[in-house]
Amino acid sequence: MTATGTEGGDQTILPEAPAPRRAWWRALLRDRAAAPAMLLLAAIVLAAILAPWIAPHDPSANSRAVMQPPAWTERGTWEYLLGTDSQGRDILSRVLYGTRLTLLIGLVAVGIGGIIGSALGLLSAMYRRIDPWIMRLNDMMLSFPAILLGLALVAVAGTGVLPVIVALGIASIPDCARIARSIGIGVMGQEYIEAGRAVGLSDLAIFRRYLLRNSISSIMIFLSLRFGQIILIGAALSFLGLGAQAPASELGMMAAQGRDTLLFAPHIATIPSVVIFVIVLCANITGDALRDVLDPRLQT
Amino acid sequence: MKKSLLYGAIALALALPASAQEINIVREVDSNNYDPHKSTARSASEVLFMLGDTLVSLEPDMSTLTDGLAKDWEVSDDGLTYTFHLKDGIKFCDGREMTAEDVVYSFERWIDPETNSPVAWRAGEVKSITAPDPKTVKYELEAPFSELLYQLTQSFATVVDKNNVEELGDDFGVTGFNGTGPFCWQEWLPRDRLTMTRHEEYNWGPGFYENKGAPHMAAITWQIVPEGNTRTVALMTNQSQITQYIPAIALKQVQQAPTLEMVRSDAAFWTYFIGFKIDKPSVEDPAVRKAINLAVDQEALARDIMFDEVTPAYSYISENALDWDKSLEDKLLRYDPEEAKRILDEAGWMPGSDGVREKDGVRLAPVAYIQGGSTWQGLAEFVQAELLKVGIGMQIQTFDATVFWGKISTQEFDMFGMSYPYISAGDALNLYFLSGNIPTPNRMNWNDPETDEWLAEGRHATDDNTRAEAYAKVLNKVHDAAVWLPLYHEPMTIVQSAELETVVPHNIYGAGLYKGLDLKFRE
Repeated sequence: MTATGTEGGDQTILPEAPAPRRAWWRALLRDRAAAPAMLLLAAIVLAAILAPWIAPHDPSANSRAVMQPPAWTERGTWEYLLGTDSQGRDILSRVLYGTRLTLLIGLVAVGIGGIIGSALGLLSAMYRRIDPWIMRLNDMMLSFPAILLGLALVAVAGTGVLPVIVALGIASIPDCARIARSIGIGVMGQEYIEAGRAVGLSDLAIFRRYLLRNSISSIMIFLSLRFGQIILIGAALSFLGLGAQAPASELGMMAAQGRDTLLFAPHIATIPSVVIFVIVLCANITGDALRDVLDPRLQT
Repeated sequence: MKKSLLYGAIALALALPASAQEINIVREVDSNNYDPHKSTARSASEVLFMLGDTLVSLEPDMSTLTDGLAKDWEVSDDGLTYTFHLKDGIKFCDGREMTAEDVVYSFERWIDPETNSPVAWRAGEVKSITAPDPKTVKYELEAPFSELLYQLTQSFATVVDKNNVEELGDDFGVTGFNGTGPFCWQEWLPRDRLTMTRHEEYNWGPGFYENKGAPHMAAITWQIVPEGNTRTVALMTNQSQITQYIPAIALKQVQQAPTLEMVRSDAAFWTYFIGFKIDKPSVEDPAVRKAINLAVDQEALARDIMFDEVTPAYSYISENALDWDKSLEDKLLRYDPEEAKRILDEAGWMPGSDGVREKDGVRLAPVAYIQGGSTWQGLAEFVQAELLKVGIGMQIQTFDATVFWGKISTQEFDMFGMSYPYISAGDALNLYFLSGNIPTPNRMNWNDPETDEWLAEGRHATDDNTRAEAYAKVLNKVHDAAVWLPLYHEPMTIVQSAELETVVPHNIYGAGLYKGLDLKFRE
């Protein structure tokens, strides 16, 4: 976040002094809500990454033990720790693989939305002449609910994980562009930008060295909060049968499958739903905490 | 799907109290249209039996033919000429009197090549259909058709109104339908509900119904509720009064509920299967089709997915159906995954890096088209998991019922999930294996001159033995080629509110309520 004239040494004006790196980590870990949430999220991510090695069963292989309740209940067995679904598949393994897919959908969609959205937003902040055009286009996109966009895209491109990722990515663009633009406009009003221009820096250099570097942390905070929402919408689309297709497992899809047996084997729908809940909650708390420690405007 | 659920919930919440002589029937899927000549869906037949009438009817025992629009009929000795005498005073819902000319028009539309009806074959090889006088219909055939009268009881032979057909054009059976049935079309909101009201003047119902006049029910709403649980709950909370679409898992619970009653009939022949398009690169190999048959454990499917409420199927028609060949019993393909693997290995399908088999660059990953709804989703996923164990990576594509029927008349898939009603081997085999029925309902592209010949032999037979022998040959040939993967035979199970008088389940084309004339609240 520092602009220490590494290239020409012609930059004499520094932005506001950045907080030392270690300090915000420490602040984050001191946060009573954020620390456990982050640890839990880290554990979930780790478990998802390691799914192929730690899953006790093949997630798509059925067994003849259908709708077994979790191990701690009366009829449960330790072979299927979280029980089995209506096809006799191990729920624990499916949750591990499902979390993997759910997180992947969220990350990639947020990535697409973040990159394109912030590029558009920052460009609009920098070149005020194109600003109205980009922003009107943006307003149009904002008026489309993400889930509707997802449905429309899936209707055109067919069901699957990819169309859902693209739809969620596109749906994230306008929000992100808005945020990036407002942050960017603030940065563009700073004196160091004027100074940069005065010493004849190219637009590209100004964008890269000043605008991007000074906006990125705020954008990242926004994206971390957005991540939770994206996961929810992605799970909703899969719940409607538009996202991941059998035999792949995805948390929203698992919840949808469990719905058929909700009256008889409630754990099939409940377990994946709880996992979605925990992921989104942890992601939101972490995002909030990140904002608290990283956003300079909130620091006194 | 979500939307229809929402509307469904609203509609259910607004449903009038039961005392109003109105009932709500919930079902899983809608039809693509309600034109008797243009849909083969059970959901279309269910409604058409109530909106319209046929010349002859079938009793609940599924074998006795009885009166319909015709009070009686004669068949000539050579089996070529059928003469029907119509009842008096039959009227369409719009008040116009129905005459023999309307019957002639309906049948001519049915078999007209321009109508392009997937069910035209059911009319037999027609020479001419004429109306010598307003009360008589003469049905002349080129060749005898042993099943003609049965076929004429089906909803495809419903008498339609010419004016109505011409007025509505492509919207016939979509925005309206003027029939002579016990109920009249009110409104159809696709994928949501279809409503019908009592035909006040109706008094020409089949003799086996206790009710000889207009129906007791003033109005019926056919509500689409895709989720099985929601249907069960709708019955339990009396938002719906009757349905044949309660998921197998809930039947035990339903039987214990004091407000509900369950009736069942085993006279039904309704079989679930997955068919193969036999000219597609992966499933054109008979070894693959055989291996698929060996790899799927129908017994486990009937037990685990259908909770023992159905009979596992290894044959394409029930062993109890007329003209089933008993000698086939030993040759049926039963669960043997090791043998499946051996057959695939032998045929040169070798496991690839991800476990899915390949041969000459063709991946053994057939695409299966299925109809939306929890029943087929569960079945398809079971089959998918079973096939994966022997290295076949079946892919599932699900379509809403309104799109599904169009999708499965294309050539773009390798397998399709289907279930169908029949009363005899002849009925089933002529439906699916005639080359003239390609691309639909012969979605397998089974094009075999010998089969066509044997089927014709069976249809034209005038004695039972010749017919049984001809159909036995076809049964042997298609089972031998493993063109289907049979899954299970389903009995007719109707769950109804105890406030209704106990219904007698019917099985005609799987429409459990048939004409609904005896639907009545207890007094």
